[in-house]
Amino acid sequence: MAKETKTIEVDEEIPVLTKTAYMPIDPDTRNVIHTDEYALNFGMRGALIGGSTLLSYVLEMLYNYFGEKWQYHGRIGVSFIGGGAINGDVLTAHGLVKAIEQEEAGTRLKLDVWLENQMRAKILVGEASCIQ
Amino acid sequence: MSEKSGFDAIPIGLEMGPFEMTLDDDMVTERVNLVQWENEEPLEKFNVTPPGLTISQHARMKFMALPEMRVSIWAKSEQEFIKPMKKGSKIFIRGRIVDKYTKRGRNYLVSDYETVDEDGDILLRSRETGIYVE
Repeated sequence: MAKETKTIEVDEEIPVLTKTAYMPIDPDTRNVIHTDEYALNFGMRGALIGGSTLLSYVLEMLYNYFGEKWQYHGRIGVSFIGGGAINGDVLTAHGLVKAIEQEEAGTRLKLDVWLENQMRAKILVGEASCIQ
Repeated sequence: MSEKSGFDAIPIGLEMGPFEMTLDDDMVTERVNLVQWENEEPLEKFNVTPPGLTISQHARMKFMALPEMRVSIWAKSEQEFIKPMKKGSKIFIRGRIVDKYTKRGRNYLVSDYETVDEDGDILLRSRETGIYVE
């Protein structure tokens, strides 16, 4: 059964998604930015959560809105900014509609997306789009 | 004449992989738990993995191809989803270094990845920029 068509306007937000960030610390990891010792020396607050994990939080928010169409028409481009995330940070994914464009496959929604922590600091910013 | 080493020696065009993996129940469950994916629709209704579940393998491929690299921190990530990944299927990821540059004293590598299924159909196209530290 097809998902109910949602009506959304430019400058409206899709539903947010909040997660408490967690990634097990593997002392034997090759990527030592995921260890407290190296990350603290690198100027971070602690072992960094992997970028692909942070991206997954945003992807789940987008999947929750677009459903399976995301798997065929989803595009995302983000930059990682600020100090990243560490275990225990409460992260909220946001998506704000910036444009609605017609293309051959249907109506494509273009969004600004970002991930912010409990201090309202953005740690990931970028754009995403999908056929609705 | 001195030989290039480390970052300077990484050739543009360096291939990474192919990396082969089977999206079996154990792998999918482990990754779903790791990223705290809660929406059951892809797994239960469509028998496919949540989007992006294999992206973490890209860093693994980079570490395998670049033994001198100690740290890779994502600066940018671009992903284009083309087809869902079926649970239980085999996928293949091919990667390539497409650019490198130094900015504000930090070294960056730009990598492209293409994930295909057993029929050769493209499932995911990725371009990732990471800080490179030895």
